[in-house]
Amino acid sequence: MKTDELFQLINFCRTIQKESTDPFDLNVKRYLGTLKQYLKKWKSLDDLLIDAEAISELAKIIELQGKWIRDRSSSFYIDPVLMELKLKMLDSAQLATAFFKSWHPIISLDRITPKRLKEGLDYWNAFCERKEDFPLPSTPETFTFGIEDLIDLNILSMTEFEDLLREVSKELGTRGRIEYHEFIYEDEFEDSMKKAYLTSFLVSEGKAELDINPLEEEVFISPRNANGKANTGDAKSIPISLSYEDWLRWKRNQRQRQKRN
Amino acid sequence: MEEESETETEEELRTRTEKKVKKAAQLLFFRRHRVPGVKGWELKKALGDNYLDVLGVLNSALDKFGMEVKRISEEGGTGIGEGEEKEKAERDRFMIVLKDHLIEKASGARIDDVAILSATLAYIISKQGKAPRKEIEDFLADKFPKRRIYFAIDRYISQGYLGEEDKVLYIGWRTRAEVDRKTLLDLILTS
Repeated sequence: MKTDELFQLINFCRTIQKESTDPFDLNVKRYLGTLKQYLKKWKSLDDLLIDAEAISELAKIIELQGKWIRDRSSSFYIDPVLMELKLKMLDSAQLATAFFKSWHPIISLDRITPKRLKEGLDYWNAFCERKEDFPLPSTPETFTFGIEDLIDLNILSMTEFEDLLREVSKELGTRGRIEYHEFIYEDEFEDSMKKAYLTSFLVSEGKAELDINPLEEEVFISPRNANGKANTGDAKSIPISLSYEDWLRWKRNQRQRQKRN
Repeated sequence: MEEESETETEEELRTRTEKKVKKAAQLLFFRRHRVPGVKGWELKKALGDNYLDVLGVLNSALDKFGMEVKRISEEGGTGIGEGEEKEKAERDRFMIVLKDHLIEKASGARIDDVAILSATLAYIISKQGKAPRKEIEDFLADKFPKRRIYFAIDRYISQGYLGEEDKVLYIGWRTRAEVDRKTLLDLILTS
């Protein structure tokens, strides 16, 4: 055996380790016998070092052979090619059934306890104390559109607005004291909203007066001086709910009334 | 008098053991962490040094209802009472699982998603415990829509059935706890 052959043996061992090929491709017993036979012929230190290296590589192959046998003898060893083939043949239901039959689910339950609730509350309280550290979104500023804004936006002109206001005031004067919704609702919902907006100006300017009956949930509107009462001029805000559904109800009732008449 | 004293001690011991078994059952049944189950050191702290014996008693009681205490470690699942060293037991996780396979439907998962998990586990096991994600996705793409595969694998990773490291999938802690891998492979091969 020449030193070249020793190098070949070492390279072969390293290839098996690197590429994970079958370690039994190498006849370890035969190579060990040959190395033993030529051991006495090695004279130089280099020869002996290469011989020691070859022995070391053969030992690694023996270790790999042991692992290879362990893997294949384990209950989980299955030829990957066979498994791939089998998996391709099975349909979803068969695969799912195999899983369910081998599945032993964990039994556990989530629940909240008074202790955890207390911990949550403490956490929240601690969080609130530090709220200045967190950039919370700022509260959006609310503002109302005034008549000046509408004029600035060219939605209305002062002349047109005053004309409209005069028309509503005249109509209220003609109809006298009347239920508020009955007064502002028109055939179109959009017109009703416009009229409600204009009416609010009449009330604000003291040209009309609201009379609220909280028990009956009724609101009456009357022109100023129509019932002989003077407007006190005190500024107060009266919210009155208007909705599309309510307008539809009013319209249905109006149709029924017209039919009866 | 001596006999009376001994009887009293036995009763006390029984009462103490019963209390510990109840406590162990509560600890194991009710989830305390993101991952179900309780670590050995937690059980030791709550039940005392003989916590493995207490779990043994609990295991006998659960057996009547088709449940068992399962112990899993990072290396792989083992049953309790196998004489492993105490330090290792403290690092292991204990949980209660169903002993027999399910009789009634107990999962709302789509059959396709369960099939994806089943095939992925079988594929990984046949590859000695790990396989590149891309390889698995390509393999499954012959049977299932790609979009469904990506979502299902991500979901099973988050649920603990699969693990992922450097785009390589491996068997997750939950599979080791819940799935009888040998039975799964046998059933697939004999289907």
